[in-house]
Parts: sequence; C-alpha cells; structure tokens
Amino acid sequence: MNEISSGPQDGHGPLYEGHGIVQIYNGHRALAIDNVTVMHGEVVCLVGPNGCGKSTLLRILALLEEPASGTLAVHGIAGRKDVTLLLQEPYLLNMSVYANVVLGLRLQHRMKGAKEAYVLAMRDAGFPEPFAFAERSPSELSGGERQRIALASRLILTPKVLLLDEPTANVDAKSARAVARAILKTRNGGATIVCATHDPALIRATEARTIRLGRTWDEEPSVTPDLEA
Amino acid sequence: MDYLINGVLAALALLADPDEATLSAIRASLISTAWAILVAFALGLPLGFVLGYCRFFGRNALRLVSDTLLAFPTVLIGLLVYALITSRGLLGEYGLLFSLPGMAIGQAVLAGPIVTSWTAQAVENLDPRCAGTLLTLGADRWQTAALTLWECRYAIGMVLITAFGRVVTEVGIAMMLGGNIRYATRTMTTAIALETSKGEFAQGIALGLVLLLIAFGVNIILAMLKRRGRV
Repeated sequence: MNEISSGPQDGHGPLYEGHGIVQIYNGHRALAIDNVTVMHGEVVCLVGPNGCGKSTLLRILALLEEPASGTLAVHGIAGRKDVTLLLQEPYLLNMSVYANVVLGLRLQHRMKGAKEAYVLAMRDAGFPEPFAFAERSPSELSGGERQRIALASRLILTPKVLLLDEPTANVDAKSARAVARAILKTRNGGATIVCATHDPALIRATEARTIRLGRTWDEEPSVTPDLEA
Repeated sequence: MDYLINGVLAALALLADPDEATLSAIRASLISTAWAILVAFALGLPLGFVLGYCRFFGRNALRLVSDTLLAFPTVLIGLLVYALITSRGLLGEYGLLFSLPGMAIGQAVLAGPIVTSWTAQAVENLDPRCAGTLLTLGADRWQTAALTLWECRYAIGMVLITAFGRVVTEVGIAMMLGGNIRYATRTMTTAIALETSKGEFAQGIALGLVLLLIAFGVNIILAMLKRRGRV
C-alpha cells in the first residue's frame, strides 16, 4: 500500500520509507526488501544482480504500481506528477525529437517557455546543438541518442524525484559522463535521484549512496535485507 | 482478342472524353463509399480502440465476433440490409432501397468489421512501453488513451484505405441495394458487370481502368504510410 503525504518540502528528511515491500508477478516473487529509505536531495543507486528487483522497485517508487504487500510512505511530494521514471529501454513516440522532449510539459500544460527548457534539457543530456536534432525522427537516432533524448524528456520536467533505470546501459563513455553530469545538476537543483545501475563509474561520478538488492528469497524463506553497501 | 484490344482503345478514348454515364458511375461509387467509410469509422474506430486497449470481461468474445465478421459474404450483407430497408422492413418508411444512402448502409456493414478488428489489432500491436512512458511523463488516463490512439495513426490510416479499397471495389451489395439504376445508383463495379453482360467492353474496361487507378493510388498511400509508421 502506498501512502503519500505532501508535507513540508524543506529538502530534508526521508522522501521514501518502505517496509516489507514484496512484489509478485504471475505467482513469482520479483522483489522482497525489508526496509528502504531514500532521503530528500540525495542520489541513490540500486545495485544487484539481474532479476533482483531493481526495476520493480523503481516502478513502485514511481507510484506506477503498488506492492503486493508492505508499505511505502512518500513524503513531501503531491503525487505521481512530481516523479518521473526513465525506463531501461526508453520508448520515444513517433514524432519529432522536439515533440518528444517537450511532451511531458505539454501533458502537464506547462508549455510556456518550452523552447528555452528544451535547449537546457538537451544540453544537460549531452547535446551541445539541441536544434540540430529538433526535427529528426526517433528512427534516425542511434540507441545511445535515443536514451539521452529520453533523459532530456525527463530533465525538462524538473521533477522532484528522478528515477533512472540503467541510464548508461546503451551509451558510450562520453555520453555516460554527460548522464552523470545531468544527475549531479538535477540533484543540485534540489531533486532526489534513484538510479538502478550496474555501472560503478556512474556510482562514483555521482557520489551516490548504494542500496544493494539480492535474490535472497530464492534460498531463504525469510528475507534478509542488505541495504547499505 | 481483337474485341479486347478494341475495348481498351475505346476505353482510353472514353477516359479522355468521358460521357455522363461514366462520370455518373464514378461519382456514385465515390459518394456511397465515402459515406460508408465515414459511418464505419465513426462506429468502428472507438469500438476497435476499446477492444484493443481495454481489458474487460467478454473482450475476447467480441474480438472473435468482429474477426469472424471480416469474412461476412457481401451478398449476405446485401440480403440482410435489403430486408431491413425494403418497404416492409424496419427502415422501410425512409425509402432507402435503391438509393445511394441504402447502398452506403450495406457497405458500412462491410467496412465496419474491417475498421473495428484492424484498429483493435493496431492498438494491441503498439509497443507496450508506450503507455508506461506516457504515465511516467505525467499523463493522466485520458491523455494516455488519446496519445496511444495518436501513436497508432499510421496503422489506422492503413485501415482506412484498406477499407476504402474493399468497399469501392465491392459489387454484390451495390447491385442488391442500389439496383444498378443508371445516373443514380449505378457504380463502377455494377456498370462493369452490366456492360460486360451486354458485350459492351469499352465502358467496362474504362471503368475498370479507373478502379485500377484508384487501387494504384491507394497502394501508393499505403506504402507511404508504412514507411512513415516505421520508427
């Protein structure tokens, strides 16, 4: 069950407090974690082997789904619109790059100043010439470019909580550094970032706290959390 | 073979300087088809979207019915709609039999399942990450549904012109419900059937060429849509 409290937004204190969170898909346990806490304004990286539930936990933190059991308290945000999640294999709609990047603003009726915001977000995502891409179709982009365009479409929203699922999985080293810089800039803007990753360089570059998830439920009937790395 | 060659030559002359009967048949075909497609889309598009997008009890059964109706024989549609609009039928008082609106009703019944089933298929085939992406960008339920439909626009464009091609080349419904009345309900297909039965090949071939041109145009648009829809 999710509980959301708007509360005072002073940038301190816990943002997420989860207890005994378990998620089950088609009868199979996808995630089990005793306690998880994320503080306002920090960068947290979820690490662990494939299938340990990192993406599942991100979807729960994004308020896109509720856990099968356990509680998640969310403090200091108004609801799902304050949170945005970048999927591991992002989907770009069949429209121009510009339309894709400003889509979230359009959906939230925040189109005033969209062009300037587009330029900033694209630069933060590692595109020094944003309008060189504006009219291009997603089909003309490489995998790494698509990943960074999708990142720009999240950064433009200036979310209070930015959730990223393997943001450097499909990008080269230079683009990975751009992603790390974007994360730090977003954090410095007051946002909280939770990122599932296998990339130690990203963890180092963003000075992130790590939460290690493990598939402990395969071997043991009761779940042992291993939170702090 | 001479009669065919002479027919083609006469058809080309007729196309260069069409008579009123030829123009009337082309006009009747396009008007009844346009109305049929309009009605089929007005009803079939929302129904197809709901069938493809929503999950509810009975959805699979409805899909099965819609898919089965894709193979609805045109003469059977003609018969059923005839029974409906004949003077003794439910809609008999409106005088729809042997009129373009009457033909359009039958053709809409033909196009409806095409629009419904293929729209549902287009929505089902859409990348499942699309809805998730929209939700993570702050879309509400209605925005997500509307943009999902928008994302299927090229596939739905293909449904439109496929349905158009099916209806404009159809003959059974037009013959039964339109009555093949000259300058009124005679369409290209019924005119071809009539002229051929009379041994008058020129007008039949001329109208056949127009149908071929329409099919060619439809396929060009289809190819363009397929290219644009590929992301």
